[in-house]
Amino acid sequence: MPEIRVTPLGAGQDVGRSCILVSIAGKNVMLDCGMHMGFSDDRRFPDFSYITRSGRLTDFLDCVIISHFHLDHCGALPYFSEMVGYDGPIYMTQPTQAICPILLEDYRKIAVDKKGEANFFTSQMIKDCMKKVVAVHLHQTVQVDDELEIKAYYAGHVLGAAMFQIKVGSESVVYTGDYNMTPDRHLGAAWIDKCRPNLLITESTYATTIRDSKRCRERDFLKKVHETVERGGKVLIPVFALGRAQELCILLETFWERMDLKAPIYFSTGLTEKANHYYKLFIPWTNQKIRKTFVQRNMFEFKHIKAFDRAFADSPGPMVVFATPGMLHAGQSLQIFRKWAGNEKNMGTVGHKILSGQRKLEMEGRQVLEVKMQVEYMSFSAHADAKGIMQLVGQAEPENVLLVHGEAKKMEFLKQKIEQEFRVSCYMPANGETVTLPTSPSIPVGISLGLLKREMAQGLLPDAKKPRLLHGTLIMKDSNFRLVSSEQALKELGLAEHQLRFTCRVHLHDTRKEQETAVRVYSHLKSVLKDHCVQHLPDGSVTVESILIQAAAHSEDPGTKVLLVSWTYQDEELGSYLTSLLKKGLPQAS
Amino acid sequence: MDPECSRLLPALCAVLADPRQPVADDTCLEKLLDWFTAVTEAGSSLLLLQENPCLVELLFHVLKSQDLSSRILSFSLRLAGIFAAQENCFQYLQQGELLPMLFGEVGPLGGAAWTAPAVRSGWIQGLRTLAQHPSALHFLAACGAVDTIFSLQGDPSLFVASAAGQLLVHILDLAMRGPAEGRRSPQACDWPACAQKIVGHIEDSLCSTAIPQVTQALSVLTTAFGHCHGLWTQGLWVRLSPLVARLLEKDPVPASHSLVDLLLSVARSAPSSDRGLWETLAQTLSHLSPTQAGPLALGILKLQDCPQALRTQAFGILLQPLACVLEAAAQAPGPPGLLEGAAGDSMTVDTLLSSKSACVGLLCCALAHLGLLQPLPQRPSPWPQAPLLGAAVTILRLCSGSAAPTSDVGGRLCAILVGCGRVQRAALDFLGALSQGTGPQELVTQVFSVLLEYLVSPESSSMVLKKAFQATLRWLLSSPKTPGCCDLDPHTQLFLTELLPVLQKRLCSPCWEVRDSGLEFLTQMTRHWGGQAGFRQALLASEVPELTKQLLRDPESYVRASAVTATGQLSSWGLCASPECPGAQQESLLVELLHILSTDSEGFPRRAVMQVFTEWLRDGHADVAEDAERFVAGVLQAASRDLDWEVRAQGLELALVFLEQLLGQRGSHCPYAVALPETAPPGVLAQALQVLCRVQLFEFAFRALFDCDRPVAQKSCDLLLFLRAKAAPCGSPQEAGDSPNVASVEATLQRWQAGEQGQPLGYLEPGAVVALLRSVDLEGLRDTLAESSDHVEKSPQSLLQDMLAAVGVLGENEADCY
Repeated sequence: MPEIRVTPLGAGQDVGRSCILVSIAGKNVMLDCGMHMGFSDDRRFPDFSYITRSGRLTDFLDCVIISHFHLDHCGALPYFSEMVGYDGPIYMTQPTQAICPILLEDYRKIAVDKKGEANFFTSQMIKDCMKKVVAVHLHQTVQVDDELEIKAYYAGHVLGAAMFQIKVGSESVVYTGDYNMTPDRHLGAAWIDKCRPNLLITESTYATTIRDSKRCRERDFLKKVHETVERGGKVLIPVFALGRAQELCILLETFWERMDLKAPIYFSTGLTEKANHYYKLFIPWTNQKIRKTFVQRNMFEFKHIKAFDRAFADSPGPMVVFATPGMLHAGQSLQIFRKWAGNEKNMGTVGHKILSGQRKLEMEGRQVLEVKMQVEYMSFSAHADAKGIMQLVGQAEPENVLLVHGEAKKMEFLKQKIEQEFRVSCYMPANGETVTLPTSPSIPVGISLGLLKREMAQGLLPDAKKPRLLHGTLIMKDSNFRLVSSEQALKELGLAEHQLRFTCRVHLHDTRKEQETAVRVYSHLKSVLKDHCVQHLPDGSVTVESILIQAAAHSEDPGTKVLLVSWTYQDEELGSYLTSLLKKGLPQAS
Repeated sequence: MDPECSRLLPALCAVLADPRQPVADDTCLEKLLDWFTAVTEAGSSLLLLQENPCLVELLFHVLKSQDLSSRILSFSLRLAGIFAAQENCFQYLQQGELLPMLFGEVGPLGGAAWTAPAVRSGWIQGLRTLAQHPSALHFLAACGAVDTIFSLQGDPSLFVASAAGQLLVHILDLAMRGPAEGRRSPQACDWPACAQKIVGHIEDSLCSTAIPQVTQALSVLTTAFGHCHGLWTQGLWVRLSPLVARLLEKDPVPASHSLVDLLLSVARSAPSSDRGLWETLAQTLSHLSPTQAGPLALGILKLQDCPQALRTQAFGILLQPLACVLEAAAQAPGPPGLLEGAAGDSMTVDTLLSSKSACVGLLCCALAHLGLLQPLPQRPSPWPQAPLLGAAVTILRLCSGSAAPTSDVGGRLCAILVGCGRVQRAALDFLGALSQGTGPQELVTQVFSVLLEYLVSPESSSMVLKKAFQATLRWLLSSPKTPGCCDLDPHTQLFLTELLPVLQKRLCSPCWEVRDSGLEFLTQMTRHWGGQAGFRQALLASEVPELTKQLLRDPESYVRASAVTATGQLSSWGLCASPECPGAQQESLLVELLHILSTDSEGFPRRAVMQVFTEWLRDGHADVAEDAERFVAGVLQAASRDLDWEVRAQGLELALVFLEQLLGQRGSHCPYAVALPETAPPGVLAQALQVLCRVQLFEFAFRALFDCDRPVAQKSCDLLLFLRAKAAPCGSPQEAGDSPNVASVEATLQRWQAGEQGQPLGYLEPGAVVALLRSVDLEGLRDTLAESSDHVEKSPQSLLQDMLAAVGVLGENEADCY
């Protein structure tokens, strides 16, 4: 029985590292290869030993697909390809291919060199891993091998994020990765066609949330930044180099312009150019508004936002600084935080430590820093909410849905909702659990022109809505199936024709001679079977279509005649009808 | 446990026991368990529980609570296991009947929570940790845990099922070890009841017609033979081997993959005199399909002691697919093939021709297995180097379509393999591995010609090209030298003249991966052959050096970095310059690299420049040696401004090389040993210090000492300690004690330490430097820096504080995954 099997090694009932194994029609695909940044030992990577148990990795896996550049989706990739030993192809979109190594490199520097961790990948490994990547364009069908094909769809979320359709023959699975169904200031909304996959694997981060309008969150953010700047404070916004940062930049730029504000806004040195470079390069991936205005004005070239210099942090007066990294664990954002944390006028959006209320921090083991600044947490993450997820399910019309990348309780709620609304099965496996879905494979069969012409000659035009029977001979040659007429099959295969006839003996009480019995049979059948061609042949036998009836004397009983009835399989129905009719006897001669 | 943690623990237990309080994130509980493991490993668990009664209360509370999350329940089961691992603590918990309530049928096992895989996993892990002593064995028997573990072997969760199998092995081992171990007879009839039960279950499973059950039994046995080394394992094998051998009678052999694992695991642990085992292995080899038998054959060939006949049989299995290919592609009866006398095995040929995926799978496995075997000392001897080379070349030709086999099988193979990237990659890797051996010149010529074909072909993908470059490099570097002459042999020389135009073309590829692989190849080749006249001549006659230089301005940063390394290497061998005006070219390269260092927006090229400069300084590159002082000053100035801390760290590396050149090497026995310094003679020292002051090395090093990024500060600390050992050893007379200069510098340093690094240090006198080196507490700083940046964050107090601080905040801040 053909089946689709899905086993999450990560993201099964959690929002940690995404890594999902899919087996479809004998092909094995890994969807995402993420890292858990909460751990600093082997637990940060998915347990790949479950794959290597079934032999060499490269022989087992046909390909790896990465949905987008966030580390919880691609962070384990260099480890997997260069240390565990996967040597096959890795597919991702072009922006993901460009940005992924930057984030991996950043994380490597923190993990290995700053924290002194061992068993981590090197710069060279990141590069070697990126060389295995095959970039895919949106809506382009990429043939992984003769049978397996993949296709990318726009997912919103971050620059280059994609959903992937994986198809083998007539079976298909769609994996959404992270996606956003509402456009934001720089990216568009996710979209997929009505591809009716056997299975849709969707993220469910906000499975139970209907998020308040983005406008509210933006207004809140602008208000707080504005207030801080007005009272002469400094605002630190720790961000990741690419993604939300650009959205917030566009937001502040527009606001500064509208309010005619003078306080300077800075962005980490080097990153402005880098971000600009990528957004220019991948302008087709941004939303319609940005694409439209791009010809006159590049939305990512800001009037109010300038490159930051270390010395600026000591300048008096208000300012806003976007600094990397977003987790505030190193580099520029940490340096600035150290300078500003002591002043209650200032505001920052920072990592979980300060967020969870800690006001005293030991910095680099050298000094204790008292946090007096205001701390605000604002989420601008771009995931589809419950409504968005339902919308996508409606769009793709899958036969089954499988939830990943979410919390079990929330998933449970969404699962019920999906099952009720769409009448499809919904699954939510935990990590390590396998979901198996039976599928009915459709096997393509070619039909010979001769056979079709013969059908057409009968005046029956093909109609997609009215399927009908077509007789022919199915032959398999060179792994292909073809339906041809039996004559052609015989010719192609060099076979002689044999006819198979069904025979039956019917005993009739009749004292007359055999010829007379035959005439009685002929008259009876002629009167009963008005629509059929009934003939009395010169040799005394009677035919109805291909059915042949001969009368013979009974060897032992002269008062009984034996009717020998024979027919071909094409007239099986008529043959059995006739025998039952004859068994009832002939009408008495008047 | 430190008092602060003890103080926080009751509050934390209360939070954990409260179903209304969600836990901050899934890593917290794991980290908490890590911490409890460490605490109990360091001291008495019983004492811990007595001093912190809240822990036992938590466990009781968990049992009573109805609506607790599965995560907390799982955590509690594991926590109880950690405590009960010590026998006295186990007894203590038993008194309160806590353990049966947690692990027995009245516990989660019988409840709705059991449907959560996390709870089942927690149950197993708890028992795994707990099962360390005889009391635990009695407990397991009494609460019927073993039967539950049997059923969990077939759990829908891979993780739970696998953990259940491992737990069975652990219990078996625990039961069989113990005081009576030495006296146990190999006959299993007098084994402890618990072990009897487990072995009985394995026997039943092995006889089962359900393949999953057979697989489970085989994998439990594999773990047992892999991890347990008691005498009893031999007895176990004696008892079970007939059942295992019976599996081979079935067609197809069930759970073949697990069977192979088991047999190899037994073979690795069994004494080499076990004839029965060798027979089973031989039988298995002949029963399995070519694809299934490959891993077993490789495993057998890796064994240290193994009968020759079995090795021959195993090697035959690995060679078979290649032999078939060779035979199918042979134009005419040629030299003896891989398997002399034996025609291509029909089963192998059938597999190769049955479908594309089967063919590709079998060939890739065979190539990979032979590639792994090649470098091993125990590889079969004689090693059929020549036919293997022939096979690799043939496969590559079939893949590229350049082979035209006349036989029917050959034609069909060609149709399957043509353009197949997977086989191309595997064959190129294998061909590279074969470079370790020699071959007849004719074949070697064929190897180079097929490699060139791949390097030239527009059909080659970037990964195939990368592998082709790697294989070419390996073959080039292993090519024989003409005796008595240090130059390249004529064949290699000829190949080089064909190769360089191809490399030239590849350096212009639109694909960055290809340009980069080309540059990496060039760097390696130059590193090894930079001094060979033939190579130099061929390279200088080509446009490769010029193109490499142009790639310094490549749009892709990886390529720029590789171009920096390549030009650096070329320049070291004087291969960058055109013969007419060498000076001008070199000068411009130094300037160009300095320009990259100060302006490139990406870290990789800047880091590569620093590495090249360090190497140049170390090796006494002519242009550097000309005015080393000016060079070092310029580089340090650029590096100090760099935002990438790896560039700054590399700057310190360069500074260290410079110091060593001035003051002599560091102690070779230990890089940072300062105990027995060899101080420099006073005259040399004074002069050296002057130089160091002029190049502003001190300003660079002191600034780095207070760098925000720990590795930079660490490196600087080591450098200054070295310098102090050389320049100002303890007990040497004070030179420029408390001069006003020193006081102001110290004040500046303090400001730097506080994070204000705006102010420059100004020009330092050597005397002031020596005084400063004495006054700064470098050892103290080194110890502080030795701790990782997140050691505070990693501490148990911090973890407990975080978990407590998250209470109530969590609802507002939704889990934000970017």
